Amino acid sequence: MKRKIALLIGATFIIFSCGKDDVVTKTSPYSLIRPDYFPEITYPLENNPITKEGFELGKKLFNDPRLSLDNSVACSNCHVKGVAFTDPQHNPSVGIFNQIGTRNAPMIANMAFQSEFLWDGGVSHLDFVPVFAIENQKEMGEELHHVVYKLNKIPEYAPLFKAAFPGIDTITSPYMLRAISQYMLLLVSDKSKYDRVQKGEDVFSASELTGKAVFDQKCAACHSGALFTNYEYMNNGLDLVFMDVGRELISALASDLGKFKVPSLRNIMLTAPYMHDGRFKTLDEVLEHYRSE
Amino acid sequence: MKQLNFFKHNKSFYSVIFLTLAIFMVSCKKDSDKKDPGNIEIEFDNIAVVNGIERQLTLVSPGSTDYGYTNGMSQTFNINLLRYYITNIKLEGPNGEVFTDHVHVSSSGTEGIYLVDEAQPSSGSVILDNVPAGEYNKITFTVGVEENGVTEGAAGGNLDPATCKMFWNWNSGYIALKFEGQSNVSAGGTTGTETLEGVTKGIAYHIGGWKTIDGTAFVYNNKTMSFTFDTKAKVEKGLQPAVHMVFDVIKLFSSKNLIDFTGNNNVHKPVDGKPAAENIPGAFAFDHIHQ
Ligand code: HEC
Ligand code: HEC
Repeated sequence: MKRKIALLIGATFIIFSCGKDDVVTKTSPYSLIRPDYFPEITYPLENNPITKEGFELGKKLFNDPRLSLDNSVACSNCHVKGVAFTDPQHNPSVGIFNQIGTRNAPMIANMAFQSEFLWDGGVSHLDFVPVFAIENQKEMGEELHHVVYKLNKIPEYAPLFKAAFPGIDTITSPYMLRAISQYMLLLVSDKSKYDRVQKGEDVFSASELTGKAVFDQKCAACHSGALFTNYEYMNNGLDLVFMDVGRELISALASDLGKFKVPSLRNIMLTAPYMHDGRFKTLDEVLEHYRSE
Repeated sequence: MKQLNFFKHNKSFYSVIFLTLAIFMVSCKKDSDKKDPGNIEIEFDNIAVVNGIERQLTLVSPGSTDYGYTNGMSQTFNINLLRYYITNIKLEGPNGEVFTDHVHVSSSGTEGIYLVDEAQPSSGSVILDNVPAGEYNKITFTVGVEENGVTEGAAGGNLDPATCKMFWNWNSGYIALKFEGQSNVSAGGTTGTETLEGVTKGIAYHIGGWKTIDGTAFVYNNKTMSFTFDTKAKVEKGLQPAVHMVFDVIKLFSSKNLIDFTGNNNVHKPVDGKPAAENIPGAFAFDHIHQ
């Protein structure tokens, strides 16, 4: 009899701990698919494996204005989904208390393949870009530790963080930042006509081919490859006097004065205004600049 | 047959075997005792050497005009805040002993990266465990967080960018050493974590820069240094010697380059922090060991 009871207790214990384990460790992996004509993935996915739960949490954080000082500005205010995650209305971007920033919000797509971020490349890991946005006086004006404090006070977040990062008991900044990265990593732009042609599913029209020939000759030195950027810092002749020192801020090299990261040209029809300070409203203005250069 | 006989009947033979075995066992035990690793404490004590006398530091509130220290250019100053990272600690001994502290960075915490904060006295004490038994007379460490601390991504513990107050968001990476205070010769206008804009006579030295980018003047300001002890720290199970290192804040401004508080006193970029960074190795010294 005693033995039976012991067995029973043992069994329930096993069942119990099994059940508990199950609840704690179940996340569903999401995979990031790299088209074979894309550059290599630069993000260290092994440190932050993408899961459904992490992605969903990141998406919620990205759209939550409570990440800003006056609870008015979310990442999605300046990186709007419908226009390839850029800021269509503002030139440059507008942050908290309607303050105008000095730079134009870039498109957020194909971040998994990029190794330096911002127009000057100052940030060298995707996880750290939101720290810049949150703490920038003219963007979200918050302090990271205060955002973490706020998130810990919002009841809906605790279960979402626990689901995305099993085993944690309080929300800390690395988990918040890694969740936002998981969301951004899956924003992959690879469904354009260019991509269909690359995959052999479509062909360029005659006029497209003419455009491509000009592009290959005049533009592809900088806007190269499947992402239309060589990720280098260049001066495309916008100014002689620089309001924004650009890459020089990071490299401390006089010859980098006024150089900016060559932007990807994917979704270019949607990402107006153009250039680091958003000076051109239309692509015609951009082409006029290159024509007169 | 003869031998068998011998085995069967020679009692003294058995006792010899027994004895040898016993000795073997005892010496074995002694041996493994000797090999049992122990702990060692490395203490980083911030001081100011004034007129040849080591003084403990006194922190004052931002804006204070109570200038207790004098730099190498006879300019007086005080201190609001002093913090720095220590990592990659390595100990060596004269008989080939080597201990390399394990460095690991993850979202749940960090190992082997220590943040010494003058405002938190206990932060200066680093306890290393599982150090192989032996004698040590040399320490090597790095001031600043190396590339692996950044490329791992958002990290917790001492590297949590929300709490460490040592993170540069515009040029992502960790500040190696942060000093803020006031000097009577500063025109003010500095910005810092504590020395805020508007505080007159502020001086702020945020020394950092871990990137080494080919073809740029980007400045690498982390410093690795070694010190030899004049005595040896004996480590084994049950012993916890304490190696006492000092950091002289006066030398931060004078050991190699004389820092002038009238200009370049609002340092927030690698290139601006280079002269003070070069003073860091000369500001540390081995002091003594408590066995
Ligand atoms: C007020 C507008 C604004 C808000 C809010 C904002 N951003 Fe940005 N974002 C920008 C601007 C402007 C830049 C370019 C900054 C620079 O180069 O200095 C940028 C750059 C970026 C980049 C780099 C893209 C590249 O190609 O280098 C990423 C990633 C990004 N933001 C993500 C975010 C996230 C995540 C949030 C929310 C935590 C956020 N942003 C909030 C305006 C904003
Ligand atoms: C020397 C390298 C270089 C060449 C050649 C070049 N570009 Fe650029 N392009 C850049 C850089 C750098 C920027 C960002 C400049 C800035 O914002 O200050 C840029 C920006 C742009 C933008 C704005 C993108 C955005 O999201 O704001 C467009 C569009 C563009 N280029 C198209 C072209 C076209 C079309 C050509 C060929 C006629 C061309 N570029 C040739 C380097 C180059």
